[in-house]
Amino acid sequence: MDASDGAVATEPARVRTQGAGKGLEREDRARLLRFMVMMRAAEERGLTLYRQGKVPGSFYDGRGQEAISVGAAYALGPRDRLCILHRDLGAHFVRGVTPDRYLANYLGREGGVTRGRDGNMHFGDRRLGCVGMVSMLPDMAQVAAGMALAYKLRGERRVALTFFGEGSTANGQWHEAMNLAGVHRLPVVFVLENNQFAYSTPNELEFAVDPVERAAGYGFPGVSVDGNDVEAVFEATRQAAERARAGEGPTLIECHTMRMHGHGAHDDMSYVPAGLHERWRKRDPIERYAHRLVADFGFTPQEVERIQAEVREYVERCAERALASPPPDPATATEGVFAERWEPLGDGEAPWSRWQREEAA
Amino acid sequence: MSSSGTSAGAAADRAAKADGGRVEVTMPQMGISVSEGTILEWRKQPGEEVAADETICDVTTDKIDVEIPCPAAGVLEEILVGPGETVAVGTPIAVITAAGAASEGRGRTSADPDAGPGEPEETGERRAASGDSKPNGELDRSRFYSPVVQRMAAEHGIDLESVKGTGVGGRVRKRDLEAAIAAREREHAERPLHTESPYRPEPAAVPVGNGAGAAQVGERREPMSPMRKAIAEHMVRSRRTAAHATTIVEVDFSAVARRRAELREAYERRGVPLTYLAFVARATVLALQEFPVLNASVDGDELVYHDSVGLGIAVALDDGLVVPVIRRAERLSLEGLAAEIASLARRARARELEPDDVHDGTFTITNPGQYGAVLATPIINQPQVAILDLEAIVKRPVVADDAIAIRPMAYLPLSWDHRALDGATAARFLSRIKELLEGGELE
Amino acid sequence: MATTTQQAPASAEPQAGAPRELTYLEAISEALREEMLRDESVICIGEDIGAFGGAFKVTDGFQEEFGAERVIDAPLAENAIIGAAVGAAIEGLRPVCEMQFADFISCGFDQLVNVAAKLHYRQGVAVPLVVRLPSGGGFSGGPFHSQNPEAWFLQTPGLKVVAPATPADAKGLLISAIRDPNPVCFLEHKGLYRSVRGEVPAGEHTVPLGKARVAREGRELTVIAYGSSVHLALRAAEELGEDIEVIDLRSLCPLDSEAILASVRKASKVLVAHEATRSCGVGAEVAALISERAFEHLDAPVRRLTAPDVPIPFSPPLERAVLPQLDEMKEACDELLRY
Repeated sequence: MDASDGAVATEPARVRTQGAGKGLEREDRARLLRFMVMMRAAEERGLTLYRQGKVPGSFYDGRGQEAISVGAAYALGPRDRLCILHRDLGAHFVRGVTPDRYLANYLGREGGVTRGRDGNMHFGDRRLGCVGMVSMLPDMAQVAAGMALAYKLRGERRVALTFFGEGSTANGQWHEAMNLAGVHRLPVVFVLENNQFAYSTPNELEFAVDPVERAAGYGFPGVSVDGNDVEAVFEATRQAAERARAGEGPTLIECHTMRMHGHGAHDDMSYVPAGLHERWRKRDPIERYAHRLVADFGFTPQEVERIQAEVREYVERCAERALASPPPDPATATEGVFAERWEPLGDGEAPWSRWQREEAA
Repeated sequence: MSSSGTSAGAAADRAAKADGGRVEVTMPQMGISVSEGTILEWRKQPGEEVAADETICDVTTDKIDVEIPCPAAGVLEEILVGPGETVAVGTPIAVITAAGAASEGRGRTSADPDAGPGEPEETGERRAASGDSKPNGELDRSRFYSPVVQRMAAEHGIDLESVKGTGVGGRVRKRDLEAAIAAREREHAERPLHTESPYRPEPAAVPVGNGAGAAQVGERREPMSPMRKAIAEHMVRSRRTAAHATTIVEVDFSAVARRRAELREAYERRGVPLTYLAFVARATVLALQEFPVLNASVDGDELVYHDSVGLGIAVALDDGLVVPVIRRAERLSLEGLAAEIASLARRARARELEPDDVHDGTFTITNPGQYGAVLATPIINQPQVAILDLEAIVKRPVVADDAIAIRPMAYLPLSWDHRALDGATAARFLSRIKELLEGGELE
Repeated sequence: MATTTQQAPASAEPQAGAPRELTYLEAISEALREEMLRDESVICIGEDIGAFGGAFKVTDGFQEEFGAERVIDAPLAENAIIGAAVGAAIEGLRPVCEMQFADFISCGFDQLVNVAAKLHYRQGVAVPLVVRLPSGGGFSGGPFHSQNPEAWFLQTPGLKVVAPATPADAKGLLISAIRDPNPVCFLEHKGLYRSVRGEVPAGEHTVPLGKARVAREGRELTVIAYGSSVHLALRAAEELGEDIEVIDLRSLCPLDSEAILASVRKASKVLVAHEATRSCGVGAEVAALISERAFEHLDAPVRRLTAPDVPIPFSPPLERAVLPQLDEMKEACDELLRY
């Protein structure tokens, strides 16, 4: 990468590449690929539905960023909690949301995660320990810090993790969340997805100093990783979660990546300098990992092929289910403004084999 | 909108004849078949200021009293017809000198947006509650009726024009209406439903002192009231016109008493008082349908049969009586008749009857039993052919099933016109009524 | 978990069963303390509430008693206070946030109206937090320390809003607010802190949200008020010696519409009074409600006595000209009575 790209510091100091996740077994690696392909396939399907006019409102995807949400979420345990954003569909899948519920949410159907109450990626299944986003960014960073506050108070070895983009680090609420987390050494993991553009605004108009440098200003480490390397992201998150559980406080993980589609499906990305897009396309996270599985981890090309085909076929079946889901009943539109009682969030699925090993132990 | 007991408002429009500042007040036509009216009392005297719609005099016609609202604001210049005088409809009775332009004669409606005391405030004005009130005295709010006042007046059948307002600009406030309702209820509580026979002896009048003729030693003179004069004229004419005969039947009211006990509570819950008179009325209406000649009139050589029953119920007043009519009584059930009877009696006593309420009767029932008399020979109410009298219901020993029994008994005298029918018909008619009453199945 | 329920506050003489008077502020403090003793998931977050005991000393002594983890001195960051409270509430704590002045809620507005208020409707996630808002003017606080911002919250579905006028209600409503599984904005009028004393039951005492209180019975006119205006109305009624009813709303959302309508049906003349500014305030909502549902019971237009649409000025004569005063209350009542 060089400065003529027009983007600021796509590869700043201390970028870890070729990371190998610690504690990952063969099955885990297959799953990492599987979840990334699931995200890719589901979002492609969703985009098609959108272009067919079946999706009310807007459509957003995280094409090219699959490694971040999958890698980060994969490191968390069942009792950890996530605040998931619009380019982090992989995290929902890791926690147990199925593609049909994701697509039905876009379609505004009863089978969607919010049953029509909120659209596109503004969802989170509370039974799986996920808190859905609001449109104002990075509000969820504050909420994650608050959840971590509860764990610290009660002495629980749990972690709250949140995603946000590099653009939202310009917002006062990011500062407030980082500051509170630093002051109180909260067990929170801040995952910063630096995908080069906040809608059409390039990094050099969002900040003067790379955000990862600013973590030091709040009193905790900032770590830069190759956001298109799923195991690098996994490993960075695993380490950050360990720190948090040990009471050592927060970590900021900046994942470098590139948003391959527009801000939304309505955006044609005409503001992206020529060449930048193609350079990042060559670093596609799924292609890279599929290649690595064969090259480094003893998978056969047929296995890798089969994993991807199975997932795509599964996503197709899910799409049919989503399309068959009925619209929500208008009579229920005014219900549920207030809660009758508080209930705890449920635990999510945690497919990393470590958790099965720990349970068995 | 305000409820008015008379059509005087519209009449006032017709009563005003403006002539370049000089406005004539004329005798209005009240009621379809009315042709003349009598001045009762002038509320204003020449030289006094009058406001538009303010009551200027009281007029009576066919025993109905009506207040005449002034057609224009200004000064009462001259009174042309004095109290007690009767003139034809349309006759000028007074002259007003209008103040400035003649008013429309109707005053502000409650929909007038400018009439509210205190317009909504502009922002920044702190005294949010006071608003831009015009000084109270200048604005006549006496006919502005708030929602609660209108609703309560409608529910209680109160004529708002008769309620004095103590609010801003003379507005009738809720508390004024509450007071009026309470006063009327007290009045009614003191006077249970009773009716009198037309020939009841005159009540002793308060000595007035000013007799028309010269007072002799040992006697006292008193001018007849308009109502008295009307009754006098009517009775004599009736006796002169019809060939009066009276037939009497005796009725055992125990079945009616039982039936009344059955139904009374449910009726009362619906606000309908159930009296013996209502039972008699229902039996009468049914019988009239079987004996249509009793529901007819005599017109020269012809008998006029009426399709519908206009049932007159005689109501006693302080100074006479009045017979309001239940129109198309055949369509009403026992409950309907009971409700109508109660309503008419109440309105009659509150002097709220309209002139049309006393017309178009085809049969009359009178009920002097309250005062203990057991037999009477009533006078027919022209142009009808019969009148039924419900006398006192008295417990008497009677023979029933060859044994002595105590039963509530009453005589039902029927005075009838021999020009139209004969004794046999009259007797059969009465027997039918007796049968219906003693059957105990009326509804 | 601590189980003490009958412990009297340090500031009053404990005497089981005997009536005792507390100030409005003492009642709030007592409510908070008793709940924190009863339920260890109740925590406080706010600026200067820990070591300093709070700008108004509501949490005086709390950090000594409950520790710095449960009485958190937050950085100067209202969105962080409320945002962190949201996260903590989702995870089962019962945070009571303190805005140092109600006016500063504007700095935490986003987390309150976009995150806290909407999470349950959108995701079925309950957010049981309380935001305490010292509101109101009358001490030359100027435009940023004197506001009554309740109408902002009433326009946000998903927030409950309460505004007690008496010490007993302050205690009862705060405890109920803490126990409610929804975000509750608790408006405590600063002017009442030390100026209003009243009988406060010791120990467990709750007042349900959504229920108004008849502060004074009457038949000729009803004044519907909350907060500082309740006291103004009561004084006016006393001094006028008229048959005036005073309804203390206590709860703005949920609003006790039945109590309002019952009073209107009785008196037929209504004055709605609040210290908050006029346009689109609680008065507007109550007047519309009455017009919709009790039109045929009205004997006069529904009037409002409020501050005008003006930032609250600093200098005493200007402030007095803006905030509703006793003589204006009396005049407004008198005018309606005469109508």
